Amino acid sequence: MAEPFRIDRKEALRYLGLRGQEPDAGTAALLERAAGMLLETARPRTVWKTFELRETEEGLLLPTAGLLLTGKAIRRHLCGCTRCILMAATLGLETDRLVLRTQLGSMALAAVLDACASAAVEDVCNQLCAGIARQLERTLTFRFSPGYGDLPLALQQDFIRSLDTPRKIGLTLTESCMLAPQKSVTAVLGIRPPGEAMPRETDSCAGCNLRGRCSFSRDEG
Amino acid sequence: MEIREKLKQGFLILDGAMGTMLQQAGLRPGERPELMSLTHPEVVEGVHRAYIESGSDVVYTNTFGANAHKLAGTGRTVEEIVAAAVGCAKRAAAGTGCLVALDIGPIGELLEPVGTLSPDAAYALFREQVEAGVRAGADLISIETMSDLYEAKLALLAAKECSRLPVFVTMTFEENGRTFTGCCPSAMALTLEALGADAIGVNCSLGPEKLRPIAGEICRWTQLPVILKANAGLPDPQTGEYHVSPDQFAEEAAACTQEGVRVLGGCCGTSPDYIRQLRSRLEGKKPAERKAENPPAVCSAERTVAVEGVRVIGERINPTGKKRFKEALLQGDIGYILAQGVSQVNAGADLLDVNVGLPGIDEPAMMVQVVRRLQAVCDAPLQLDSANPQALAAGLRAYSGKPVVNSVNGDPKTLRAILPLVKKYGAAVVGLTLDEDGIPATAEGRLAIARRILDAALREGIRREDVYIDCLTLTVSVDASEAERTLEAVRLVKKELGLRTVLGVSNVSFGLPAREQLGAAFLTLALGSGLDLPILNPNAAAMMGAVASYRLLAGQDPGAARYLAEYGQAVQARAASAGTAPAASGQTGSAGPAADGGGREALEGAIRSGLDAESRRLAEALLRESDPMELVERCLIPALDQVGERFEKGKIFLPQLLQSAQAAQAAFDAVRDRIAQSGRPAVGRGTLVVATVKGDIHDIGKNIVKVILENYGFRVIDLGRDVPPERVVDAAKEHRVRLVGLSALMTTTLPGMEETIRQLHKELPDCRVFVGGAVLTEDYAKKIGADYYARDAKRSVDIARAVLEQEN
Repeated sequence: MAEPFRIDRKEALRYLGLRGQEPDAGTAALLERAAGMLLETARPRTVWKTFELRETEEGLLLPTAGLLLTGKAIRRHLCGCTRCILMAATLGLETDRLVLRTQLGSMALAAVLDACASAAVEDVCNQLCAGIARQLERTLTFRFSPGYGDLPLALQQDFIRSLDTPRKIGLTLTESCMLAPQKSVTAVLGIRPPGEAMPRETDSCAGCNLRGRCSFSRDEG
Repeated sequence: MEIREKLKQGFLILDGAMGTMLQQAGLRPGERPELMSLTHPEVVEGVHRAYIESGSDVVYTNTFGANAHKLAGTGRTVEEIVAAAVGCAKRAAAGTGCLVALDIGPIGELLEPVGTLSPDAAYALFREQVEAGVRAGADLISIETMSDLYEAKLALLAAKECSRLPVFVTMTFEENGRTFTGCCPSAMALTLEALGADAIGVNCSLGPEKLRPIAGEICRWTQLPVILKANAGLPDPQTGEYHVSPDQFAEEAAACTQEGVRVLGGCCGTSPDYIRQLRSRLEGKKPAERKAENPPAVCSAERTVAVEGVRVIGERINPTGKKRFKEALLQGDIGYILAQGVSQVNAGADLLDVNVGLPGIDEPAMMVQVVRRLQAVCDAPLQLDSANPQALAAGLRAYSGKPVVNSVNGDPKTLRAILPLVKKYGAAVVGLTLDEDGIPATAEGRLAIARRILDAALREGIRREDVYIDCLTLTVSVDASEAERTLEAVRLVKKELGLRTVLGVSNVSFGLPAREQLGAAFLTLALGSGLDLPILNPNAAAMMGAVASYRLLAGQDPGAARYLAEYGQAVQARAASAGTAPAASGQTGSAGPAADGGGREALEGAIRSGLDAESRRLAEALLRESDPMELVERCLIPALDQVGERFEKGKIFLPQLLQSAQAAQAAFDAVRDRIAQSGRPAVGRGTLVVATVKGDIHDIGKNIVKVILENYGFRVIDLGRDVPPERVVDAAKEHRVRLVGLSALMTTTLPGMEETIRQLHKELPDCRVFVGGAVLTEDYAKKIGADYYARDAKRSVDIARAVLEQEN
């Protein structure tokens, strides 16, 4: 199902290497043009499901999914949660094609479009998660994705299978566990026990493996 | 009773869901359902029996994901699983008259070029399933839940080429009437019927009510029996439960029979109850009469073009008489070819002719590559144009949708070689009215050949409406009466045979001045004589103007809507653009006077500001006086250097860098044209290979680097993405390059990068490697053995200069 989405211009500019600087008129115009193209073309699709969460020695088990979340980071992230949500979102193949086609005519526009698409899929995820939180009347943790921290990327396969994403939203994996279409996200979110506030866990850059050497970092400098 | 007989008689009832039934029977989460045919055959058999008892005429085997790809790691082979599954179904069906369909689902990965699964690999996976199914004794094959029309085609080809079983094909559509990959119902129907499916339709995704319009649309585009295997509505995200009750499901599904659907079953969330209710609803009812319209039509997966009224075929993807295009073919510069396609579609082409025949290239391989990559970026149906049957066969196999083949002629040899390909791959075909004795001098002679071609096509099993006739345009500079002879032949073919007609229009004016006006006049006459499919250059305004005018005058443009949309705005835009600043894309430029004094500064300024049309115009003006290479060295490169420096200092950012690069490229194009005209060989600054490493599909960064490098005059051999180390080494050897650039976006693909570097250094000790990508650092680049680290596109230019120019 298509859902409306927003394109956070500042976020898109950050992907293009601007850290708070004002874009020049040409870039600003490209940004508006790309955002318009994307709003017209992208068809965001999402799927989510709730699962019970059980602590085991090997990791956190989602018994009804047959999925084991391993690593220290995810244990910390979902600490105190007895249920979680698996979610997946994609802007669809239409967006991949649009970026591909645009590259033939204008690489400048394509680069901006690519950045807008990255910002857009984040927004789709934010809206989805906010909606789920409202529906469940619970606080949710941040999204945590395979490949982030020490949560193995290979778990993508289990995420994709548990949510049946190829059938439900057209989201597939390549042999090397890349999501295709490209502008897609899978994640697990903990459902906080009722009445309990979120531990003040930070922004998403804090726990990242690439901290300090990532060109997209939100950290200043 | 044979299934094809059953299909003729009335409704055919399929089964319902397998997966949810197995879960209820104890399938563990995360376990592949296909394994249960081996571990718990009695359970699987029981599910089939329950469906048969509730009234299914056909049951689908428990083999939806039984391909070697999805079974990897289970320790079980396709052969074992399929044999066991077919065995379960056959035991349940024994003595009941129920038939067993070998179920084949999608492989689960996206195909190249958007994904990484190669079509050959996909075909091999399907073939393995089909062969196992045949050996196990399945009665028919059911290919279902397909999203990509091309994947469905590969599966159908495997079924047809490796079995004689009847084949059902169903695809999965979203509520907007398209599949996830963009396929529309009409394209699906046209393509799969032409390829020889026995029944086609929809399954999964939605409940019957929401699938009704889609099933109805399919019914209008095919004469085949249409299948509906809907879900029990949509699942609840929290519980996974489906909400449409058996009774409601049966009512909604039965309503779809009014559209002409005659094969019905259930998909996710349905059970024997749903099938029982469905069966009883349909008891004593007869399928609705259907009237498929079947107009002459071709399609890509995303777009159907009915040949009703004028349809323009773009002619620009063809090397004949085009130096730049030949150069692109020889150098494998697919990007240039694709850009030609996209620009023609933007200019109004309905179809694109694709001719990539040139001595010295592997035409079948090139045809495949161009077809696949063109279809990834543009949705216009293609006309595969070649005299080489191997190239046509390869292109037809690679094509997603129903294409046109250009061409056969009256020579029995070509008819024998090509018509079977047209039939097998479900294409339309252009018949040229010439034969082994040449082009008949009279219109009647051409009609006679057209008739022979039509007869041969009909004998081959090709439908009448899929034969288009080209009465051949000859040059009027030789004999002015040729034009009238062609027009008369078009009239005769229309009147006597009622076939659609094709003409290459541009040829008429060959050797004469002001070709476009002559071409446009001839085009108007030809359209008036009954030409349906003019082959022309859609970028030629006069030609498209003639088409638009004819459509309006011939009543094909109600309310002049298209005419006004095209020309009303164009006039306004021209009026408005005078004096305004160029758009950000640089697509428009002010049409000022030619540059004179200060032209270089103006050109440098245009590059800095990223104005491509302006840059090209200024460069053209400068080239009248200056030497092309001097312009490059003294103006273009310094301008780019300035831009690069500003980028390095953080004064401008990537979009501006790229806009300047585009503007410089426009100026380079003018230089290149000038050099081509002068007949001198193009001068390059050196060649390098770039690739996004194996496992990684994120290649926009690499493409950006390529654009910037090309700007500086480097020849860049782009191997694309997901490139195995061996291919990088081979290309580096073949082109004898001293520099290779590798990109990777994801940490997980860095080992692939390291391995590629290792192989390059081992095989080509003199070759330097630079690497780039968001997760790389200088240190890490060193650690994996790279010679250079390019943190951005500008730095890659510095590296290329250092490596490639030091010894030049």
